[in-house]
Amino acid sequence: MAENKSRGKSPLPYFEKMVTNCLGYAKKAKKDGKPVVGIFCEYTPRELIMAAGAVPVCMCGGSEETISAAEEDLPSNLCPLIKSSYGFAKLKWNPFLEMADLLIAETTCDGKKKMYELLSKSKEIYVLEMTQKSDDRESFNHWKEEIVKLKKFLEKKFKVSITADKLRQAIRTMNRERKLRKGIAELAAEKPPLISGCNVLLAKSLISGIPKDFEMYERLTGAVKKQAKQNGEKFNGLIRVLLTGVPLPHEAEKVMKIIENSGGVVVAQESCTGLKPLEEGVSEKGDPVTAIAEKYFHLPCSCMTPNKRRFDLLDRLIGKYAPEVVVELIWQACHTYNIEAFLVQAHIEKKHKLPYLKLETDYSPSDSARLKVRIQALLEIAKNK
Amino acid sequence: MMGCGIDIGSRTTKLALYDSVKQKMVAREIMDSQLDRGNQVEKLLDRALKTAGCVRKDIQKVVGTGYGRESVSLVDETVTEITCHARGVLHFMPGARTIIEIGGQDSKVTKLSAEGKIRDFAMNDRCAAGTGRFLEVVAKLLDVDIRAMGKAASRSKNPAKINSTCVVFAESEIIGLLSKKTPRSEIIAGVQNSIVSRVMGLAGRNLETPAVFTGGVALVEGMAARFEKKSGIKIRVSRQPQFTGALGAAILAAEGT
Repeated sequence: MAENKSRGKSPLPYFEKMVTNCLGYAKKAKKDGKPVVGIFCEYTPRELIMAAGAVPVCMCGGSEETISAAEEDLPSNLCPLIKSSYGFAKLKWNPFLEMADLLIAETTCDGKKKMYELLSKSKEIYVLEMTQKSDDRESFNHWKEEIVKLKKFLEKKFKVSITADKLRQAIRTMNRERKLRKGIAELAAEKPPLISGCNVLLAKSLISGIPKDFEMYERLTGAVKKQAKQNGEKFNGLIRVLLTGVPLPHEAEKVMKIIENSGGVVVAQESCTGLKPLEEGVSEKGDPVTAIAEKYFHLPCSCMTPNKRRFDLLDRLIGKYAPEVVVELIWQACHTYNIEAFLVQAHIEKKHKLPYLKLETDYSPSDSARLKVRIQALLEIAKNK
Repeated sequence: MMGCGIDIGSRTTKLALYDSVKQKMVAREIMDSQLDRGNQVEKLLDRALKTAGCVRKDIQKVVGTGYGRESVSLVDETVTEITCHARGVLHFMPGARTIIEIGGQDSKVTKLSAEGKIRDFAMNDRCAAGTGRFLEVVAKLLDVDIRAMGKAASRSKNPAKINSTCVVFAESEIIGLLSKKTPRSEIIAGVQNSIVSRVMGLAGRNLETPAVFTGGVALVEGMAARFEKKSGIKIRVSRQPQFTGALGAAILAAEGT
């Protein structure tokens, strides 16, 4: 799905150089004495890191190339995201990881939890304990306590004081970032959509809060809206797809590309690399630590139980983005999303009466033909309805 | 209006011509799949046109399906074999609700609504167990013609239990059975049961009737009966089971998709 990428008209070429942009930013930050903190999950509150004067960088691996190195230590029957992330560390191929002063991990899924133990042999890791019960007051209080502890740890490690003002400033920055990114995603809610799922996914950054990124998010939204008629025409007749399930880190866009090369357009991505972390902001009222704890506690990942908020989110997204079919992506060995998929399928089919397809795959390109025939068959079902 | 459907499978390539006025398949051709697909398809088309008494100009559209559907320039549009087999089966058996299709290298179960629309599908294309390939391997091992296998299995009274889920390891297991003088009929019956189990695993429960069995493996005698036994529902073998994919593609081509 080629969109208008010529310079001066659309800022998409800027986002194509995202890793280079971020590297430049991170190196400069280090030179200016700012620490770099690596994170692996949307539960990790970036606001806290930013309020500590540090730069939060996402370390999630999306490349297949680091996986065989990872499999020397980790079992091969494991989520590719976990293997890839670990492989980058083992091979020392992730420059952000190499320059990181600290990594913040979280007890979300089994695989990540134990991978961090292996990773901690080579890098300092602070583990946040994410509780599991999504609707329990004690669970929330414990999570909030974990955030308070992390705050104290960051203050001690980086010899700073994380004041309420600094937290509020970071909250405003992150809220703005979420709003801008959501604005881009919402361009696909139009009928026909004005932007492809691949391009929404492209417009992101490994590092939060970069001012130039914000400028470009705004520019992109403006440019797409300005050419609304031409943009919409490109997507006429394509089947609207909601993509849910696991995140698609940078370089792991295989399934989205196949969908958009087979007659579909991904109008909404529910996962953590899509709308999930953008839906709710951090309240700018009241105690900032509590506000941060609340927003992040509400993130509907399948590692929480029960995960009712995910179904509410899916309902809202289906109402707003009007998909004709739902595709759920599950990385191999991701048991929580894979089991929850049974409930998701029942919900999508019974409540929304939409065709649903679950795909289990890894980062390897070798099963592209198998994925394509299933995706194409699903889109044919929608076409022939 | 003449539609041409080409089903480029892993083992065989099928071509069908469908006349939408007469509402029937007027030609069908099959050949073992070759590397030079373009050339092969041209040959199949020429033969089919001769049989039907038509020329190329009479063909409105060419729809390609199957594993190799993207690789032939003659094809105007590609449609998945899931959609094509459903269309082809419905031509012979309107009202069919479940389609079990076993080809050379994959197996599929498709569920249709009462209106003939596809509701759901499941595929196995990652593993040879549950596909025609398993039968081919065993035919070679037992030195039996694959077309005679079904008849041989019909004599079975006590099918052998094949424990391996993998065709490669099942081969070793069968060699073991042969050395213990297990009759060929029991081995073949055991293999048929294995394939049926595997495909029934894809199908799930609550299969609706009428249920139709299609694909090349449906030509093997006894397979449908074993499916009936395992599923508890009546299963009919489609007419022209090797051609329902190409026919479905040809119908879609004639209808203008």
